[in-house]
This record gives sequence, structure tokens and C-alpha cells, in this order.
Amino acid sequence: MKVKICLIGKGIVGTSFLRLVENRRDEFKQKFNLEIIVSSIFEYDGVLIKEDGINIKEVLDADKEFRNLPYWKENVTAKDLIPTLDANICIETTPTNSETGEPGLSHIIEALNNKIDVISSNKGPFYLEYEKIKKLAKKNNCLVKYEATVTSCVPSLGIKEKLIGNEILSIKAILNGTSNFILSRMAAEGVGFSLALKEAQELGYAETDPTLDIEGYDAAGKIVILANDLLGWSKSIGDVKVEGISKITPHAIDLVKSDGFVIKHLAIAEDNELVVEPRLIHRHSPLNISGTLNAIELETKYAGSIILMGRGAGGLEAASAIINDLLSIVKHRRYSE
Amino acid sequence: MINLEVKLPDSPGSLGELIKPISKNGGNIYGILHFHDKKIKGLIPVNISFELSENIREVSLENIRKELKENNIQIENITYGNEKKEITVLLTGHVFDTDVLDTIKRLASKEINISELQAKFTELKEVSNVKLKIEFPENMTKKELIDELRKLCKEKQLLLITS
Repeated sequence: MKVKICLIGKGIVGTSFLRLVENRRDEFKQKFNLEIIVSSIFEYDGVLIKEDGINIKEVLDADKEFRNLPYWKENVTAKDLIPTLDANICIETTPTNSETGEPGLSHIIEALNNKIDVISSNKGPFYLEYEKIKKLAKKNNCLVKYEATVTSCVPSLGIKEKLIGNEILSIKAILNGTSNFILSRMAAEGVGFSLALKEAQELGYAETDPTLDIEGYDAAGKIVILANDLLGWSKSIGDVKVEGISKITPHAIDLVKSDGFVIKHLAIAEDNELVVEPRLIHRHSPLNISGTLNAIELETKYAGSIILMGRGAGGLEAASAIINDLLSIVKHRRYSE
Repeated sequence: MINLEVKLPDSPGSLGELIKPISKNGGNIYGILHFHDKKIKGLIPVNISFELSENIREVSLENIRKELKENNIQIENITYGNEKKEITVLLTGHVFDTDVLDTIKRLASKEINISELQAKFTELKEVSNVKLKIEFPENMTKKELIDELRKLCKEKQLLLITS
């Protein structure tokens, strides 16, 4: 079976995806009888396009010079070209615009309007326009997968299928590695917030402008997607009550230590309310994880609490989640045949 | 919660005679109050509060009564109820400058009582961190309690961190 891919965004995630496709080509053929053909790779200023398939090795070898390849076309946007593409799946990996969801939102809508299945690692469109995307996909009989948007390869959305006979009642999670790293360092070393943030930036865990991470907006977007998917809610990011961690001091951490508590930046979906805020959790809680890890605790009706934990960010991790989504779509489509 | 009112001789070891039967029979002791100022004929009124698990409550209480009697401790009164729930929260901000006494009094007016307060700050004018252990009535949910705390904290511009 051949699957034709349109990749939008050749940043860290997009490039990691290409690398996985290239390195695992034989494995996919052998294990799944699947040939992945990438026929277009869009960037903000143009596209690499070859209907019968782009030589991925050539693109990876060209690295940042990919615009010099003979099949690069300048001044072409994904939105304009999608209706003309002969693609089965559109993979959207552009950076998130937290206010508009663009350009990712338009890419997804355009793909669905043209009956192309969608995989996204871009969460903005989903925490802003979840209902719209879902309805459009249903209307056009398209599949939309977005596991990478929440905790990368940790199957926090995929778990729903495994719990189909249960009921998820509430979610408590650590969804931002940067804020968790900062709080972990403050607790372990007794350092102040600014110093811990500086350390996170030096290690590449925090952006130069860390606002989205430390003020909780990144986690807010993710808990919206989790709640909508796992609890069946219809929320958007404006429904989340958000409080950041920048006011936390070593004194605060120290005060609650004697009672066995630690301070963590939790994202919570409970009692029809969405919250991202610093909370006290017991040091023996499974959510008391260190460093840049993510953890999700699902309270279920028939099996108590279920914990998922792992690396929630990184190019390879997100690309690996995209591969999972791709194989899941292929399996479904093949099953439908 | 079970509250026992007894009278103990003002002599070494008498408190142990009261505590032993309660602990031995599975009682989780919450607090002991001595009223030394109310000593009459060498006997001090003492109130002891403890909890017994529901499944052993009846049998244990009967055993405690019996053993206290054997220790010559007379139970003056037994009261039940007034169950309190407890939660630890942290306030960050100008907790003292925004009249901490007013905060405590306003909570108390809603039967939300501070049982412990611990603070850390560098200078009084700087932001302080205050840990509160709060008791709230059985018929109040944790969410209702937190909503009350939130209202106050919003008014006083304090960051509330709950468990």
C-alpha cells in the first residue's frame, strides 16, 4: 500500500519525521507493507514538490540549503496549493500561534475541505477550534489525528481507545516540561525562580521568551484538548483558569515540605472546570515527577487512577507520535477497504 | 470525632493512664486540653478528642470505658460529632499587610478555622509565604471551602495554592 504525504513545516518536528520515514523505510515495507511517499514539503516561503515522491535523503542531506534543490518552488503557500495536491494525508507541523491558530488552522481546514486526512503536531488549531475541525472532518469523512499536540509520544489521547469500556471522570496532569523542570530545580537546590529559569534556558529546555510555558498557557491548550477528547467536553482555551509559577519562591516550597507536600504546576479537568495552577501534591503522589517529564493521572470510574508518564516534548518524540498516527490512519483506511 | 471529658489527679503518670486505653483500642488522638485553672480537690478537668474507625467504633468505645474505669478514671461526659475536615493551603503575597487577622476572622465567621499558621518572609514589606492548616465543617465540601478562600484571596490579591 502506498500513502502520499503532504508535509507542512520543515522545522525540528517535520525534519525528524522525514528522518524516521527515511531510516525506517524497509521496516515499514516489511512490517506493514507500506510505502510512504512524501510528495510535497511546505515552508512559509515555498514548497519542495515532486508528484512521484521526493528523495528524502537528498532533502536531509541538503539540510538548510534545501531551497537550492531543483524541485523547490518559491512563493507558493500550502493553503493555495492543497486543493491541487494528490495527497492522502496532510501532516501539519508549523509552530503554534496561540491567538489565531494560524497558519495551521487554515491548512487543516483546507485539507479537510479537500477530503485529505490530517495529522497535526500543532496544537493551536485544536484548543481554539476543536469543534469546527471535528465537525468538518466528520462531514467530509476524514480522519484527524493529533497525538503529538499534547504529550508527544506518550499516548494520552490514544489511551481513550484502550479505555473504551471504562469512563474517565477527571484528569490531573503535568503537561509542561519547562515549568516542571523549574519547580524541580527550585525544590532540589533551593534556588530562586529566576535562577532556575536561567538554567532551563541554558540547557535549551526554555525559550528565550518563556511566557507560554511558565504562565501556564501551553499547558492550558493541552488540557483543553485532553478534556475535549477524553471527557467529551467542548471547551476552548478561553475556558481555562490559568495561574503561572513565577510567583513561587523557595520559601513557599520550604514551608510545605515538612507536611510532605511539593508544589507542582498542574493542569486539571474536573467538575466541568479547567484549571492550570500551582498546587500542593503529596511527595508520594505519582505526579511528583522531576525534570522535563510529563505525567497524566486519569481518574476512571471502574479502575481507579491510571498514570501515564514520559517525555512530552522533543522533535523525535513528536515525530514518533506522528508515525503512530499515520500507521493508525493507514490501518483504518486499509480496514475500510 | 469523640470528645471525652474526664478528671485526672494532678500527679505524674495520670495522663498516660488516660491515653493508653484509647491508643490500645485504635483511637487516633486529635488533641488534649488540660484545665489546670479549674483544679478542684486535686483533680484537673481534661478533654480528650479522638477518632475511631467506623467498623470498630462501638466495641472499642466500650473497651475504653471499661479500661478507664479500671484505672479509676471517671468519664464526666461524652460528646460526638463536630467532625472537622482539614486541609493545608499556602498563601503568597502581602498576607500580613492585607490584615491577616481580618482574613482569619472572616473565615471563622463561616466556621472555617485556622488551626496552624506558619510564615516565611525576608522583610515585612516584602511578599510573604504563609502556610495555613484549615479545619472546615463536615457539611462543607472541599470545593466550597476553596471557593471561599479564593474570594478572599482575590480581594486581597494573594496567590492561593491548595492541595
